[in-house]
Amino acid sequence: MNRSRVGMSRSAGSDTRAAYLFILPPIIGFTVFVVYPLIRSFYLALTKYNGLTDPVFVGLDNFRRMFTVDPAFWPSLKATGYLVVLYVPLSLGIGLALAMFCNQRFAGVRIVRTLAYLPVVLPAVATITLWKFILNPQVGLANTILEKLHLPTSSWLQSSTMSMPSIVIVMLWGVGGTMIIFLAALQAVPTELYEAAKVDGAGPYSVFFRITLPMISPIMLLQVILQTTAALQTFNQPKILTGGGPGFTTNVLMLSIYNNGFSNLGRIPQLGYASAQVWVLFIIIIAVIALTAKFSSLWTYSDNTPD
Amino acid sequence: MTTLPTDPATEAPIALAGALEKPGRRPRKGRPLGTASWYATALFVCAVMVVPLLWMIAIGLKSKTAVFEVPPRLLPHEFNWSNFIKGPQAIHFPRLLLNSTIITMLSVLGGVMTAMMAGYALARLRFPGRKVWFYLFVGSMLLPGVVGLIPLFQMYKNIGWYDTWLPLIVPAFFGGNPLFIFLARQYFLAIPYSIDEAAKIDGAGHFRIFTQVMLPLTKPAWITMSILAFQASWNDFLNPLVYLYSSDKWPLSVGMASFISPFAGQTPDWSYYMATNLLYMLPPLILFFAAQRYFIQGLGSLGSTTQK
Repeated sequence: MNRSRVGMSRSAGSDTRAAYLFILPPIIGFTVFVVYPLIRSFYLALTKYNGLTDPVFVGLDNFRRMFTVDPAFWPSLKATGYLVVLYVPLSLGIGLALAMFCNQRFAGVRIVRTLAYLPVVLPAVATITLWKFILNPQVGLANTILEKLHLPTSSWLQSSTMSMPSIVIVMLWGVGGTMIIFLAALQAVPTELYEAAKVDGAGPYSVFFRITLPMISPIMLLQVILQTTAALQTFNQPKILTGGGPGFTTNVLMLSIYNNGFSNLGRIPQLGYASAQVWVLFIIIIAVIALTAKFSSLWTYSDNTPD
Repeated sequence: MTTLPTDPATEAPIALAGALEKPGRRPRKGRPLGTASWYATALFVCAVMVVPLLWMIAIGLKSKTAVFEVPPRLLPHEFNWSNFIKGPQAIHFPRLLLNSTIITMLSVLGGVMTAMMAGYALARLRFPGRKVWFYLFVGSMLLPGVVGLIPLFQMYKNIGWYDTWLPLIVPAFFGGNPLFIFLARQYFLAIPYSIDEAAKIDGAGHFRIFTQVMLPLTKPAWITMSILAFQASWNDFLNPLVYLYSSDKWPLSVGMASFISPFAGQTPDWSYYMATNLLYMLPPLILFFAAQRYFIQGLGSLGSTTQK
């Protein structure tokens, strides 16, 4: 679009100058905080580096060590994968169910919506530590309630079988974040579609699968990507709840990266090795996004005619 | 509208429509009552969200020994209000609170200001490279933050910023949160162009148009952003944990987490902890209820417009 009107010509040159003045900070930020670290971390992943002396180039040795020597690496892949397989579908499913529930226009629905969203606004550290005590096997709220209902109790975070499910439970307490985005999507579905379905005598199942789900599928795509990348980068919960234990069961990739690169346990930081793990995580994230996007056309509906 | 409009000009009004759709505008009278099963479900959802918090307050009021009673009692039988004084004292709460406040305020200011300015330029000024920069900024949203962590950590160490607040604040002034740039641009696109034209004819420069015309018009955008930025900074744990070594510089998140990592053989003092935890939660909680409408709507507008 060229402005050809006389009198606007003054603004063309000054527009460009002003515009670059206005977006200069993010341009600098993008260069210094995004591009440089990206390139640098790629290089560091191929080195041995303790942060004090210069990095020594070792090629793919970090990756060899990761996959063959390091006892903590495979468990960390497993724990991270566990979150993707269990947490993501649950978060999307419960989030959508809650959103549909809160999309009905009954008295009191706003209270439910607000309270469901409440845990999301609270500081992560505050809620995670609260849950750490809720899951305390002796005096925690979880076992207290289960005992009162005569249901089996569990040692939660201290058991190697229940440690990951516990972390998923704690993460799911923040499902309100997923709900809010689905709710916005549901409210954007034209009501005529539902009215037409009613006239045609469609049952609730066919309404859900033939109207609701197709109409919100673009948001579903976004949510799959967002939730999966978030799950892959889980750090706070394992760090605070278990520190990676018992026996590496909750030692997710981010925690492994943190322990190798920054842990103040008096060990020498292994920044090269940690960078290599960062790149493993990064490649997984890129693969997830690429695959989701590639197959999205199979299950997302859009009435845009392709240009 | 659940299609993905590819033309930014058409999607902005949708975003705004979503953002401005106040639930209160619907006639609240005559809202039908739900069925019994609906209320049972509603009650269950509310309980799951609220009971842990109520229990936290109960623990915060118990005495040290009552916390470890077996069988545990759900309610305290005596109220130790002093926990709300002694608990915070135990971790130098005022100091941590001050740290958190300074770090958060500065990163909110930086993040919102930078994003609003960038959003203005990207939405309302025509210049070569406009699209490219926008896609680069938005694309960097997909980049996991952890990728830059190690090189940045070394960079800060080399310039002497390790164990200072600067790594937590300075990036915000340089567009550290691309989501805000995206949001700001969305809002700016929805404002009629005739407004700028009129201001230009009156001889106003870009800076004046931005500060005196645009900022008042985009209030919902920067309020939403401020809340999000406040939350992000107030709740951040990984960054201060990595960058701050001295405990007198810690924000509340790191201080609270260290409160319960027991030293050898010590059990953490849960009643003190929960009392303090409530205080740590209060600012975001108050902010949430005060600006709830902006919050839910602002995020909602994000959900109803996605970019391909």
